[in-house]
Amino acid sequence: MIENRPWLTFVSHFSLLLGIGVVALPVWVALVASTHPSSAFGAGEIPLWFGDQALENWRSVFLGEASSGVDVPVWYMMLNSFIMALGITVGKLFISLLSAYAIVFFRFPFRGACFWVIFITLMLPVEVRIVPTYEVVANLDMLNSYSGLILPLIASATATFLFRQCFMTMPGELIEAARIDGAGPIRFFFDILLPMSRTNIAALFVIMFIYGWNQYLWPVIITTDDAYYTLVMSIKRMLAVDQGDIEWNHVMVTTLLAMIPPVAVVIGMQKLFVKGLVDAEK
Amino acid sequence: MSDVVLNNIGKTYPNGYHAIPSIDLTIEEGEFIVLVGPSGCGKSTLLRMVAGLETISQGDLMIKGAKVNDKEPADRDIAMVFQNYALYPHMTVYANMAYGLKNRGESKEVIAEKVTSVANMLGLEELLERKPKQLSGGQRQRVAMGRAMVRDPKVFLFDEPLSNLDAKLRVQMRVEIRQLQRKLGTTTLYVTHDQVEAMTLADRLVVLNKGKAEQIGSPMALYNKPATPFVAAFIGSPSMNLLPANLDEQGICLSDRLSLPLVHDHRGSIIWGIRPEHLEVVDEANADFALRIQAVESLGAETLIHGTVDLGVKQEPMVVRLAGPHWPEINSLLWLKAPLDHWHVFDAVTQQRL
Repeated sequence: MIENRPWLTFVSHFSLLLGIGVVALPVWVALVASTHPSSAFGAGEIPLWFGDQALENWRSVFLGEASSGVDVPVWYMMLNSFIMALGITVGKLFISLLSAYAIVFFRFPFRGACFWVIFITLMLPVEVRIVPTYEVVANLDMLNSYSGLILPLIASATATFLFRQCFMTMPGELIEAARIDGAGPIRFFFDILLPMSRTNIAALFVIMFIYGWNQYLWPVIITTDDAYYTLVMSIKRMLAVDQGDIEWNHVMVTTLLAMIPPVAVVIGMQKLFVKGLVDAEK
Repeated sequence: MSDVVLNNIGKTYPNGYHAIPSIDLTIEEGEFIVLVGPSGCGKSTLLRMVAGLETISQGDLMIKGAKVNDKEPADRDIAMVFQNYALYPHMTVYANMAYGLKNRGESKEVIAEKVTSVANMLGLEELLERKPKQLSGGQRQRVAMGRAMVRDPKVFLFDEPLSNLDAKLRVQMRVEIRQLQRKLGTTTLYVTHDQVEAMTLADRLVVLNKGKAEQIGSPMALYNKPATPFVAAFIGSPSMNLLPANLDEQGICLSDRLSLPLVHDHRGSIIWGIRPEHLEVVDEANADFALRIQAVESLGAETLIHGTVDLGVKQEPMVVRLAGPHWPEINSLLWLKAPLDHWHVFDAVTQQRL
């Protein structure tokens, strides 16, 4: 659609700018609030320009000097979040690559049934199975541990399904050429299949990392030890102060910190991400 | 010693479909065998059985005297060139060619030496660091051949390797493949549906029809003495004129008003054939029959004249091929003679040559 009408250009630009404004304003407010003393935000007037407390706020939050309601400093919770998000992402990719590989390339009895059983688990996200999953994790003595945070979230029907579709588009001749070249199942997987699904893996990595990073409910339920608190959880903690004012400046610093890693992952892998979503490079 | 022996080879699919009933073929060392036939005749299936990509339902496949029915493709000492080249898109040309050797556990030096020498032979030195998508069709084809050659296999298998190239490149690659094969002296099995490719490349041709080998022989033997009407029609372009007829005391009786004298013991319905290039234009007195011209195709060096022969009850189509340019009028009559020594006569029932 190539049209050249000035008012149309104006309207489309205007609505785009409006959209950007709507999305960006809260981020801006958070950024500004993180540079003011805590009283500024609570006073009823939202400041729209930077204050002079930036360095102090960020420093005190980062080193855990500010009372955050959690006993560990923010950098430690950030580490926890990282371990959980990366663990979930890598685990999901690993398991779904393997299961998709089995389903697409190997002939075994009840292959179709296996696929559908995996597919049906789409209907059972953590929120639905939270009580039995808690029971299992508790019985395995995995409360307050990284494995408890990570393992129950690893199984992924979505990723298995996406990899299955990706593998099914592999040209048959290529598989046969690899067979003639003497590549067994393991070699074929690592030498041919993985490099060729590179872009899909990257795209899923981005989606899964954000999913893992933003986990709230599950960590809240299974961690009681502050040493395993994640950043996203701690924000809620900071808002739930019994008495006194909420320290909005510290809350905003933490919020911004929690936003940085997902944004960094998206920006860093943007090229591969888009490639993985639009073309298969075959 | 014969190199590859197919002994009563057959293929039945699990759904009961009988793709190939039974084929016997003995291939001598260094021979270039072309499997040719229309699509769906089982030629690719046969090649893939030799490659080990399809299981063999019956019979024995021997390569260099060893039975290889149940061996993995990689252990059969064969190399295959695929129709779509099947190059690994994420690997460089060098890595593509080296991959098979690497999997065999050859040392880096040996691989480098072999790949370089094959690349030199095929003129790929400049392209070794490129990815397949940076190559033209002809270059990809060459890399696919190079990948097969570095392994120094006992048998080359080609599965319609030229069908994705443009006409000019196809002719060039055809000549190249033939020269390479002569130079290397490697036994080769080549599948194509293109009869020109088949005729020009083959030491021996195997014409397949519905999973059966209709005839096996040198291209000229198949051209001169086709065993069945199917082979007669398939080999040669334009294909042979085949007309149903009856053989009796007078000779070949094409219709009430047209018969050609022939002394033969056989009686009954037959198929009479003559190639377009063997028909001669003569004057009315010496002619065997007349052709009513319907279309003329002038190709410069030769002219193809399509028309019909009036057999009273029906009109039979016929093609004549004449050297040089001709401009006969549409709908006029062309008087033709069919020289006796170029006739092909087949039994209509058994489809065998008489």
